[in-house]
Amino acid sequence: MAYELNEDQQDCLQELINVAMGQASDQLARYLDTFVFLTVPSIDLVSGKGLSDSLETTEESMAMVSQGFFGYEGIRGEALLVYKHEDSDRIGDLLGYEPDELSVEEQLIDISSILTTTFLNVFATQIENQMSYSAPKLISEMQGKLSEHLKQLSFDWDMALKVNINYQVTDYSFNCEMVLLIPEAAIENIKTVIDRILEEY
Amino acid sequence: MSSSVLICDDSNLARKQVLRSLPEQWEVDVQLAKHGLEALDVLRSSAIEVMFLDLTMPELDGVGVLEAIKEEAISVKVFVISADIQPEMQNKVLELGAQAFLRKPINSETLVSTLQEHGIM
Amino acid sequence: MNGEIELSQVTDQLNSGILLLDLQLNIVSWNRFLAVHVNQKLEDVKGKLIFDVFPELPQRWFERKVASVIQLGTPTYCSWEQRHHLFELPHTRPITTDSHFMAQNCSFLPYEQEGKLVGICVLIEDVTDVCHYQSQLKETMKQLELANRIDGLTRIYNRKYWEEALGKEFARAQRYTSELSLIMFDLDHFKKLNDNYGHQCGDLVLIETASRVSSLLRDADVFGRYGGEEFGIVLPQTDQIGALEVAERVRAAISNSPIIFEGKKISFSASVGLATLNSEHKRYEDLISETDSALYRAKSSGRDQICILQKFNKCS
Repeated sequence: MAYELNEDQQDCLQELINVAMGQASDQLARYLDTFVFLTVPSIDLVSGKGLSDSLETTEESMAMVSQGFFGYEGIRGEALLVYKHEDSDRIGDLLGYEPDELSVEEQLIDISSILTTTFLNVFATQIENQMSYSAPKLISEMQGKLSEHLKQLSFDWDMALKVNINYQVTDYSFNCEMVLLIPEAAIENIKTVIDRILEEY
Repeated sequence: MSSSVLICDDSNLARKQVLRSLPEQWEVDVQLAKHGLEALDVLRSSAIEVMFLDLTMPELDGVGVLEAIKEEAISVKVFVISADIQPEMQNKVLELGAQAFLRKPINSETLVSTLQEHGIM
Repeated sequence: MNGEIELSQVTDQLNSGILLLDLQLNIVSWNRFLAVHVNQKLEDVKGKLIFDVFPELPQRWFERKVASVIQLGTPTYCSWEQRHHLFELPHTRPITTDSHFMAQNCSFLPYEQEGKLVGICVLIEDVTDVCHYQSQLKETMKQLELANRIDGLTRIYNRKYWEEALGKEFARAQRYTSELSLIMFDLDHFKKLNDNYGHQCGDLVLIETASRVSSLLRDADVFGRYGGEEFGIVLPQTDQIGALEVAERVRAAISNSPIIFEGKKISFSASVGLATLNSEHKRYEDLISETDSALYRAKSSGRDQICILQKFNKCS
């Protein structure tokens, strides 16, 4: 089966993501009292192997938080939030916690959950859907655990639609990458939703 | 006499959304641009009355276009239509000379009333 | 069954806590799980501020956490892996766990009525079992990992781990152009010692050697058993002069006092090779082979001495 999105579908999905990103960033900016710099998201089709290769070569020291999402019409997937190590200590300030009030792990999980759910909630509204989430999980900062998790991922599916969104919070020069993975079984479902929107135009 | 309009957005869907939202009675001659650089090419080579401008784009983003318009003193009324609705961004584009900020997804009602507010049509 | 189903009949049988708060964090309702574990009736806590009923909650943290639910309308979570528990509730396996309180996964969810956020629903899941097994697993993994790097006889690092550590230190020293020295030493006439007094005596000498040398080293130094009676010491941030001092202390610590085996005093000594990282070393193996050659020269020049190949090009 061909999982690729055609040009119109890709364009439509990108615009939906853009709008979701914009509204989510606005909410975030108000909540965190800062400004979020938006860039154009990228959408690709990846194989399990390709994903672990692309993530593992980025940085030797990084942390990742994983959170599953699922909505109606078979829209589901997993959000990965990828952080460079040096950014971790800025998150506590950003979230408005006192030092020592929560550990770096908790901060990472908190900010990840906020980024993922604000974005996906807006996205869901646009496609007249509603999302449920699993609890976010920190995939240890140790390289071993990370590749184990990626291996597990690629065991569950061969191909996935991968959406990369970059969050840059300017006041804190904090940077993180949100990677949404929609496994092959759900790609058809998202295509159906996209086609319905395209028909309206 | 028809007005010359430029729609600049990297998304085909978004360009269509703007096109569809334009009032029917308004006679327009529409040109399209896929990013900031293309838009500047059009602006420099032909007189454009009204431009609808997206912000988050590849090559050159909307803020870059506004800065170039200001620097080169190009005469055009710019309406920003963007998903980046953070107050800081809205203020920034207005300071850079945009007529108004409209949030995505755009609908006909808002577009028409904004155009009327600014004495176009 | 008729259409009007009383859901509380079901939620009261859940083995998880459900706590409903209004936006001012007053308790609106909870299910039986909580009533039982807190040992208070709903009527007695209804309308009370959550911090009055659960004084153990970190108030500022809790308020900030809930703020994201109220302001963003999104769920937020708290896992036992980061915070063992939020609510001090007793658990049902008091004997086999080491904690007084139930380990918890908590979810904070927006509670809406007619599309408007009116409260927060807190779900409290008992994960004491998971927590218990996870910590057992962690402990076992730690022991396994340790066993994987330790030499069974001498209790210092085994060759595999030692070489990996050398590889890392080598890469680090190259990256930051910092000093790095390597010492390798070999017990003299060890085969003879084994032949004359038996393997038990040989083992004792190996153990004693490891223990004497370990006590001389810094935390950052990496000491391992390289082969039968050959040992290696990685000395990060150490130049040739510093390494030579260490080598001399190692040599002296070994040969200065004999061990007593079956009432007999048995003297032993070691030959020591030393090398310091320079630009000619492309791989860590190059450093090993230079140290090994120095060690070989120390042996052939009469044993119980230290040898460096480069610069001094002599034995001391």
